[in-house]
Parts: sequence; C-alpha cells; structure tokens
Amino acid sequence: MNRIDTEPSSDTKLPNPSDSSKPHPSNRDSFLNRVAESLGRPRRTDDVTRPAWKHTVHLDTLAGCTSEQLVDVLKEQCFFIHTQVIESTPERLQTTLDDLIDSYGGGSVIRSGDPRFSRYGLSFPNGFAWSAEATREENIRQAEAANIAIVFADYALAESGTVLLASRPDQGRALHFLPAHYIAVIERDRIVPRSTQAMAELNRRHENGEPLGSCLNLISGPSNSADIEMQLVVGVHGPLKATYVLI
Amino acid sequence: MSLKTDDRKFDARTAAGIEDAFMRGAVGSAQDSLKTRRLTAATALGDWEQWRELGQQIRQHTLENLDYYLGQMADNVERRGGHVFFARTKEEASAYIRDVVQSKNARKVVKSKSMVTEEIEMNHVLMEAGCEVIESDLGEYILQEDDWDPPSHIVAPALHKNRKQIRDVFASKLSYAGDETPEHLARFARDILREKFLDAEIGITGCNFAVANLGAINLVTNEGNGDLTAALPKTHIAVMGMERIVPTLEEMEVLDNLLCRSAVGQKLTSYITVMGPREQGEVDGPEEFHLVIVDNGRSEILASEFHEALQCIRCGACLNVCPVYRHIGGHAYGSIYPGPIGAVITPLLGGYDDYKELPYASSLCGACTDVCPVKIPLHEQLVMHRQNIVSQGRTGVADRVQMKAASKLLSSPGMFRGTLRVAYSMTRLLSRHGRIVRGPGPIEGWIGIRDMPQPVKKQDGFRSWYERREHVHRPDNSPVPADIRKNGPAAQSDFNAAALPEPGRDTSVEEAAAPIGKEGRRP
Repeated sequence: MNRIDTEPSSDTKLPNPSDSSKPHPSNRDSFLNRVAESLGRPRRTDDVTRPAWKHTVHLDTLAGCTSEQLVDVLKEQCFFIHTQVIESTPERLQTTLDDLIDSYGGGSVIRSGDPRFSRYGLSFPNGFAWSAEATREENIRQAEAANIAIVFADYALAESGTVLLASRPDQGRALHFLPAHYIAVIERDRIVPRSTQAMAELNRRHENGEPLGSCLNLISGPSNSADIEMQLVVGVHGPLKATYVLI
Repeated sequence: MSLKTDDRKFDARTAAGIEDAFMRGAVGSAQDSLKTRRLTAATALGDWEQWRELGQQIRQHTLENLDYYLGQMADNVERRGGHVFFARTKEEASAYIRDVVQSKNARKVVKSKSMVTEEIEMNHVLMEAGCEVIESDLGEYILQEDDWDPPSHIVAPALHKNRKQIRDVFASKLSYAGDETPEHLARFARDILREKFLDAEIGITGCNFAVANLGAINLVTNEGNGDLTAALPKTHIAVMGMERIVPTLEEMEVLDNLLCRSAVGQKLTSYITVMGPREQGEVDGPEEFHLVIVDNGRSEILASEFHEALQCIRCGACLNVCPVYRHIGGHAYGSIYPGPIGAVITPLLGGYDDYKELPYASSLCGACTDVCPVKIPLHEQLVMHRQNIVSQGRTGVADRVQMKAASKLLSSPGMFRGTLRVAYSMTRLLSRHGRIVRGPGPIEGWIGIRDMPQPVKKQDGFRSWYERREHVHRPDNSPVPADIRKNGPAAQSDFNAAALPEPGRDTSVEEAAAPIGKEGRRP
C-alpha cells in the first residue's frame, strides 16, 4: 500500500503524484507479498531482531588507541586524503582561522550557526552565518558566493580522516559543498577511532527517539575524481581544498 | 540507456573490444591500479576474511527479511513526510518518476550516478517528456556529452576513454578550448555543472543503501555531485533496487567500509551521506522527497538459486580482477552491468534470449569470487547459468553435436587411447607453431577465441612419459636402490598401498578439524 494514496486530503503541503492525470495504484502490499512469496514464506508481521553478528572486527579495529594515538592516526590519514591539519588551541583559534582565510585568498566566508563560534569568541568581518532566519535562496546564494566555509565537527573519525556533521536549522547541507575551500574545526575530545563508534552512537540516539537531523554528512577531505584515465583530480564539484583545525 | 547497451551479437561486440587497443590498454592499467588499491586497503585493515563474512552475514540477514525491512523503511520515510512508491517493473518506476516531475511542471533535472536509473530507462522517459536531464558525475557527464556513450564499468563509467577523446568531446560539444589535462577538463565541467545544480528543479539520485530504521538513504561518493543533487533542488527522487537496504546505521557502516575499500581502496570515500526528507526548521534539502523502490525482476532472482547475487553492493571489485573483462572491455557485455557480476545478473534481468553468451565469458578462474566483499559465489553461479542454458536446449546444434561426441569419446577408455594415438598426425595440417589454427566448422569457432595447443606425438604424451618415468621416490629423498628403481615399487617389501591417503585428498586438515567425541575420530 502506498500511504500517500490513503490520505490524499490530509497532506496538503506535499502535492500527491496520484493526483496527476495518471494515478499510480496502491501497490505496497502486493509488492511486499511478492517478496515474501519469493522467500517461500508468509509476510513477516512480527518485528525482526538483528542476529548476533559473527565477528567484532569493526568494533576491535583501533579500539585500544589512546586519544593521543588517535590524533596521530587522524593526521597521518589526512596526508593521504589531501587535507591539511593545523593544531591550534581555543585561545589561538581566531588567529589560526584568520591566517587560513588569508592563505585561501580571503574573500567571503560562510560559517554554520553553531553556538561554538560564539563560545570560542570567533568572528569574521566578511562572513555570513547559515541561518533559518534567512530564506533558503539567500543561504544558498551566500554559500555559492563564499570562498570559504567554516564549520565545527560533531565527531571526527581518526581512521578515515573524516568529519561528521548533521544538518540543523543553523547548518545546511549545501554549506559543505558550494564554497571552494572547506575548514572544519575539530575539538580533540570529539575524535573517535572510526566510523563504527560514531554510527553506533547515532543509532543509539535515534532509537532513543532523539532527532538526528535530516542529513548526516561524513566528509573526508576535498572532493575528488579519478574518472579521467584513473588520474586523481582533487577538487571536482565540492570544495577544492580542505583543512582541519584541531583544538 | 537501458539494461541492453548494444544490439550487435556477442561475437561482434567482443571482436570490437579485442580490436580496440587503446581501450584494452586503459582497462588493463585501470584494473592494475584498482586491484592494487583494493588489496592494499584490505591488508591495511586486517582480518579481511572476517570483514567479508560479516558483510555476507549482514546482506543475507537483510535479504532473508527483505519484506520486513522494506516495510519498515517505507513507514519511516512516510513518517518523516516523504513518499514511497513500490515499482514492480521498470515501466512503473520510470512512469512514476515522470509523473512526479510533471506534477511539479519541472523541466530541469539533474542527477547523480545510479545504475538502477539506467536499468529503468529513466533518462529516456524523462527526455521524451521534454525534460533536460543532466548527468553530474564527471564520468557520466563525459559519456552523456559523447551522445550517450554507454558506461563500461560500474564505478568508473568512462574508463574506456582517454583524455584526448574527452578533450575532443568537450571541444566539439561544449566549445572547450583548453588542453587535455584532467584537472582542466574537470574544472571546466565543474563550472558548467555548478549552474545546472543551482537551476535544477528536480534532483535524482540512486541509493547505495536504504537505512530501514531511520527512513533515510545512504550515498557513497567522491565528487560531491550526489550531495548537491540532493541538497539544492526542491524535489529529490531517490531510486533504489529493492535489495539495497540495511537494518540500521551500524550495518551501513560495515558495508560502507567494505564498499569503499573494495571499489577504490579508500578507507571511506570523500562523501558518505545519510539523507532523508528535510526536517522542520531546516533551510535546504528537498521540500519533497520520493523514494522509488524497484523490483524489475529482483523477486524472481530472490526465489531462484541465484539469490546470493542480490547480496551485491556494486563495488566493481570483480570487474577489476577479471581476465576476460580485461580483454574484451565493458561494452562487449552489451549490458550496463559488465564483468563477472554483470554476467551473472544480466541474464537474470534481461533473459537468456539476449544474454545466453555472457555466462561463457569467463575462464572460471574464480578471482571474482575471491575478491567479492560479500562472498557471492560468482563463478559457481556462472556454471549454474551454463547448466540452465544447456538443459533448456539453448546451445547451438554444432555445440550439442560436439559435446555429444566429446562425451562419447571421453567415457570410453579404448576410444580415448585410440584418439590420442592418431591425434598428432590428424591435426598436423591444421596446426602451426604448436597450436591448432584451422579446423572444420565448430572447431573454427572454438579456436577463434582460444589458444588450442596441438596434441603431441604419442611418445611425447603424458601417458608415455608416466610409463617411462622412475616410479619410486622416498619421502626423505634418500637415494632409491638401483634394483627398486629398475623393477618399480612392487619390489619394495615395506610398501603398503592401503596406508596411502586417497589420491587428491589431503586428509591432514580434516583430521585436525574433526571433533573427538564418544565415537572417537570421524572415519
């Protein structure tokens, strides 16, 4: 059954494709019945629980590392993903970011509306903060015009050199992709060994009913492609360069 | 593009591939690079076999409960305000997408790379309806600008083109005036496509994995085009093959790790995104989100002996190690799914009528099975296809006659010995430099694509050699006395044939693994 067909009147905000000239029949049940039939059994009606997985390799990898070791793992990986790492402190953060902005040729900056920007007393004279106060078009226009994006990571994954950020009213999706340069600030205590820990934590939060945001971005360095003769090109549709600032 | 990419016959397609020296060079070096990267990444991770078993277990559990997880996914997408459409056929899928696009009065569609949208011929349907459809993956964009040249690899679609060809395409179609440096070509495409992203009314993506308990889809990319496709247009349509689903973020994480390493040797690709309908208060992302779940023959595969093929996570590792793919290239398969996995699933999706040759495009070396991160028994499935093709009587008359003759010959020791005696002299006129180069009818077809060594003279054959050889050696390599050497092992008094293991069977492993219980060791 296709839910949208059962409640055509209650859903006024989202146009219903079945309202168009060629309606699409409800087909969820017939589809899923067919799947069950292919599996040679009746439809599963009870909740399915995940089995105990036979290996724990994902949990064990890098699990024993100290936080200092994780910083080293992260820095080493960033070398391979063409990402600059700068170690700074909360006190020096403004200066570090100002220098970085200069090295990226200045220009306009877009940052997320993360409260940590004010907590660390950061400000950028030529800057715009992503905000639900402004329209969608204005936020996107600002991101497209910006030379540099600055964000705070929710988590950092040492093994893969990844920053993880969830979308929120003050942190959009396009923010990470439209500017030519990307700067992510990582607080050291947000570094976890690998994707395993971050995803387990997010899944736990989701199961506890906490909203995660409509979009989880795991970003590992600048955009790249090897579509032309398998030769790596760094900087394709997303940012051309990326820097992580560790505090 | 549809599943079928070429109307020529299999022989014509493979001949074209083999004659294309540039393509074969490109495929060979791409394979070498990708398989080395995969191996390095798998080795660096460690415990790769356990990772594979974990990936296999996750995929099998999900498939065994596919109706449950798809239902859960649909509930969660709808709870978050998105729409779900279950499409039994490709026609239903692409018609639904067309109707969504038309209901928005939209003309400008931008999409990211997705094999399933090719399979359902979506671009064709949307263009018929008057839409501009832009492929934003760099490789796919190059192919689109080259008059929709078919992809030849599931991860690197433009693998078969060199930089000069790409420069020429951009120059003639887009007035590109630069050189053939990949950076310059990519930057040029970035500028054009940036405008397309910003103008697009509809964004269409595939789906690496649907996350059932979250009601979100997972995209694994490097260029950033998939994210721009989903973030900027006001409507996002995601299309997924019905098997591409995981229970939670935790299993997604394991499979993404296997996928990135197996596909390109990265720990994680630059962008791994989990996305769903925009939430209250958020600024960008789609105002309207549609998920199209496509069967299109998959439920038949699920019910068949080929169900393990649905474990596939589309990493392309099997293409990168395949000696046949290396020589004939992706286009020769005549399908958007080439290589070993393509030879397995294309006949299932497109039927034996069009694709009965593909299961034979394999040396059965098993390299594909060895690298598969979710342990699909690929080469065994190719043999199963061959069995089906034979039992359905789909082989040609010449093949059947040949096989019948071979079966008669090989099951009669007398005839076999007799044939060996005359094989050399009978093939002498057909051979050159130790290989058979000519032959009557069906043999011509065989030797046209394979090296067929000429049988040797009887006195040089294995049997003659075996009879002549010194039969005896000692396990400790101590010299064998001359009289035993001369008379054979029977003369050796302590020789006990019954104590030897069965030929071809190494029992040491089995014995070590056998449980010691009440009954003692297994016989």
